Amino acid sequence: MSEAPNSRSGLTRRSLLKASGAVAGAAALGGCLSGEGTSADDGSAEISKAFSNCWMCSHNCGQEVTVMEGSVVNITGVDGHPRGSAGPDTEGTLCPKGLAQQDKTHDPKRIKEPHIRRNGSLEKVSWDEALQYTAERLVQFDEEHGSETFLDATSWAETSIFRTVWKELYGSPERISRGIHVCAGPTFVTGGMMGVGSNNRIPDYQNSDYIIAWGRNILNSFAGQFEAKGVLEAIENRGATLVTIDPNHTETAEKSDHWLPVKPRTDGALALAMANVIIEEERYDQEFVENYTHGFDAYREAAMDMPPEDAAEITGVPAEAIREVARGFAEAAPRAGISVWTGTAQSGNGWKATQNITALNGLVGNIDRPGGLRLWEYPSTASFGEVCEMDYTNRAEFKEPALKKYDEYSDYPVRHIEGIAHNLVPEMVDNDHINGIVCHHDDPLKDGNTQAWIQAIEDMDFVLSIDAYWNGVSRRADIVLPESTSLEKDTMGTGNWSAYPRHKWVTGGKAAVEPQWNTRPDWDILTGIADKMAEETDNDDWTVFQQWDSHGEFINDQLGTCGTTLEDLSTGEKNYCLVEEYDYEKWKDNPNFTFRFDLDQISSFAKAAEEAGMGTAPEWVPPGTYGDETGEEYPLEFTDTRSVFFSHGSNQPHERLQDQYAKRNGLPDEDYRGNYLHMNPKDAERRGVETGDMVTVQSADGEGTLMAHLTERVQPGLVTAEYGFGATSSITSRESGTGGPEEADGMNTMMLHTDQMDPITGQVDRHIAVEVTPAGGD
Amino acid sequence: MADESDHWVFYFDPNRCIGCHACSVSCKQFHGRGADTDDWRTVTHHEAGTYPDVEDVPISMSCMHCHDAPCEKVCPTNAIEKRESDGIVTVNRDDCIGCKYCGWACPFGAPTYGDEGLMSKCNMCLGQGPGGGADVEDTPKHELDDQVQPNCVSDCVGEAIKAGPEKEIIQEASEAAAERFRSGAVANGRVIVEPLQKTQASAGGAGGTAEVTTPFNAGD
Repeated sequence: MSEAPNSRSGLTRRSLLKASGAVAGAAALGGCLSGEGTSADDGSAEISKAFSNCWMCSHNCGQEVTVMEGSVVNITGVDGHPRGSAGPDTEGTLCPKGLAQQDKTHDPKRIKEPHIRRNGSLEKVSWDEALQYTAERLVQFDEEHGSETFLDATSWAETSIFRTVWKELYGSPERISRGIHVCAGPTFVTGGMMGVGSNNRIPDYQNSDYIIAWGRNILNSFAGQFEAKGVLEAIENRGATLVTIDPNHTETAEKSDHWLPVKPRTDGALALAMANVIIEEERYDQEFVENYTHGFDAYREAAMDMPPEDAAEITGVPAEAIREVARGFAEAAPRAGISVWTGTAQSGNGWKATQNITALNGLVGNIDRPGGLRLWEYPSTASFGEVCEMDYTNRAEFKEPALKKYDEYSDYPVRHIEGIAHNLVPEMVDNDHINGIVCHHDDPLKDGNTQAWIQAIEDMDFVLSIDAYWNGVSRRADIVLPESTSLEKDTMGTGNWSAYPRHKWVTGGKAAVEPQWNTRPDWDILTGIADKMAEETDNDDWTVFQQWDSHGEFINDQLGTCGTTLEDLSTGEKNYCLVEEYDYEKWKDNPNFTFRFDLDQISSFAKAAEEAGMGTAPEWVPPGTYGDETGEEYPLEFTDTRSVFFSHGSNQPHERLQDQYAKRNGLPDEDYRGNYLHMNPKDAERRGVETGDMVTVQSADGEGTLMAHLTERVQPGLVTAEYGFGATSSITSRESGTGGPEEADGMNTMMLHTDQMDPITGQVDRHIAVEVTPAGGD
Repeated sequence: MADESDHWVFYFDPNRCIGCHACSVSCKQFHGRGADTDDWRTVTHHEAGTYPDVEDVPISMSCMHCHDAPCEKVCPTNAIEKRESDGIVTVNRDDCIGCKYCGWACPFGAPTYGDEGLMSKCNMCLGQGPGGGADVEDTPKHELDDQVQPNCVSDCVGEAIKAGPEKEIIQEASEAAAERFRSGAVANGRVIVEPLQKTQASAGGAGGTAEVTTPFNAGD
């Protein structure tokens, strides 16, 4: 065992009740304490309460923590929280990831000191030296390569100033984000073009009578626990019907009235067949379609070409089941909603799948009606421009991203839609169009084309890592700046969808504990770089952050437009505020609102679609049109999934989660703590594989080794594994620290992958043709 | 001795359990137990059937603080006490000799022995850590000052776990669950469990035919 969390101060929760039963007990109940620094009964321990919002998956469930002598000794949810409860008068909780923030705060495996690379190896330095060196390298990089070749790969952050620093002040137009580029490009972008934004992801659960989880395991892989809770409430309170469309049996399928075990990558055909039934039987919202939509004729034509019997052949779902679900959905509408996110988007034909699925909402007219597709709204927190009282020059203003600028990329349709594509970054590095990167709380080496990306990171002239853990990027960086985690800093979070379908909201809290070791919050790191850049460049623009004494002051300016303060959010019984109410069906007052079935009016898309060889209206695009096809050599289809224990690459180091994940798969007694290859026993038997065996997964482009887990819950012909493990992982238990060998259990799933993607958004296609063989050893 | 209806019981609804293991994690964190120690509250997953006629039922279990507490009856040193006031079963580790008789007697496999070879298990968060609660005065938990809900209850994402005096908890249960509890039909009336609603039918298969064996229908 490695050093146990919390051992730093010798405190454990066990001592909590004993030291001060009264106060700790009240805090653990989730209320009753007010103010900070309440003395314990025996006076031996200082106990305080603090709030935060969870950043483990970035979706902001409320956290209430108890702090004793500078250590977090208890963590729980916040009742009634917009993201962490089912709404008013319901209990707030934390999922396993959120609970692990307690361990993460004091995890001895974290990066504890700033490092810079000297003579090939990373050395500990002071913050002053690290920030000074960062500024010098940034200036040098700009002179040698131009700041426009510096890639901003900063991810979700507890502060909003990352864009200000890298885009506006430093002047880089190159930006890769989590959402569109590596998560669910087709979902985000089709939604936007069709007229509903990315609200096709989260319906109005609480008011719904019919919920379709399409390629989503809402009960385990949620964007805030309110999703799982909302579905359970709809079932219990409204008797809602739950339908899961997924090749594999999931926790959500288990709780569903209908599970349609669709063949992978055939969702687009299933959606068209549902439209076929709904149109044929005249169950659609004719008033909505006639008055508020565009392109219905083309949609109807595509749907008529896909009768349920044809779709049954393609999808493996019986025609009668398709009819039943289509009728149920249309009958319940407008109180019927679809949740769709990554499952149908992370494939080469994901664009049309998502377009066909999203079209069903317009067809039944559930748009922004209770229980349907809600047009969620964000609160009007102030933007940086609104609170900044100083003028400065936006250095990226007239710069074009390389993808759009250079002829080398003229064969990629994605250049019409996006500024960058994850898979193409290595090619851009080869072309000297990207020469450096700043990476924050992210591991692009897990996101696709991994072998080429590793080489690209090594080839870049300058790699700056701002992170809490040693991973494939931070271990290769020139400068590593250790970031404090969420409970060590002031936070403010917000979002659109929540358990309050009629309200906008903000949440947050003051830091619960001091930054651990020699780490700093991201605000302090970025403003520290800016201060050094001001000195190094003699350009006053870099002093723009000096108008605020602290991140808390900046947050208060942002909250000013909502009539609340960080102090308000940090005291009392809860750390959220419902700030504005908004109605359903606001599109009725908007003369420009159109729901587009056909995207022919969007010229950028029309160009990209033409180059990619697809039409602009809903249509069926078979698997393999873009991306892999299974065949004799690689007969199995692999894709990667998520579990309730891990979010992206950031939770894998937590031993409690590794332990429970192993238990969930029935393999806790093995030493192995990597991901598992979930396989149907039929496929396993043919290959002589049993549960607990190590197996090699081979694709045309790469391979990996991991432990097999046989289950009847996986569709024959399909194999899956949770992503975020293996090579380049932040699981550092076997490593001595920086630059050590990258040995971590499991398989980095994207070692199997090269350049497969959705041609329109560049979304990484995570469906790969593979073969599985015993690796020997178990 | 207080009436049994004042004694604390656990309630579990498999229809609301999402199998996320937050209860296990929360329990261990509250009791200051590392990842490699035994779980006092376990989540097991009970798979049955053949694709696509497959079921997978998550079950969260711990010590149920049984009204008849078989563990207490077999303990040779009287280290195990079923509190008269609220029925919570505690273990005095000064008296425990680690003979594991309680482990054999327990229908739920609740006692664990990884803590220095002595028995440790759930104490409904009456105290913290192994042996916690053994020194707490025998006043009903709900009347003690500053007592907390068991952490597994307050951190259950699906609100599938409840705990409290039987007469209160049974009011929150469905009629079917209450009846099964009173009749002893499930788990000998030691825990209130909602009947599993088998609504799911996979398209392409017969649907709902898989028989799932869980600790609650496997018999003692």
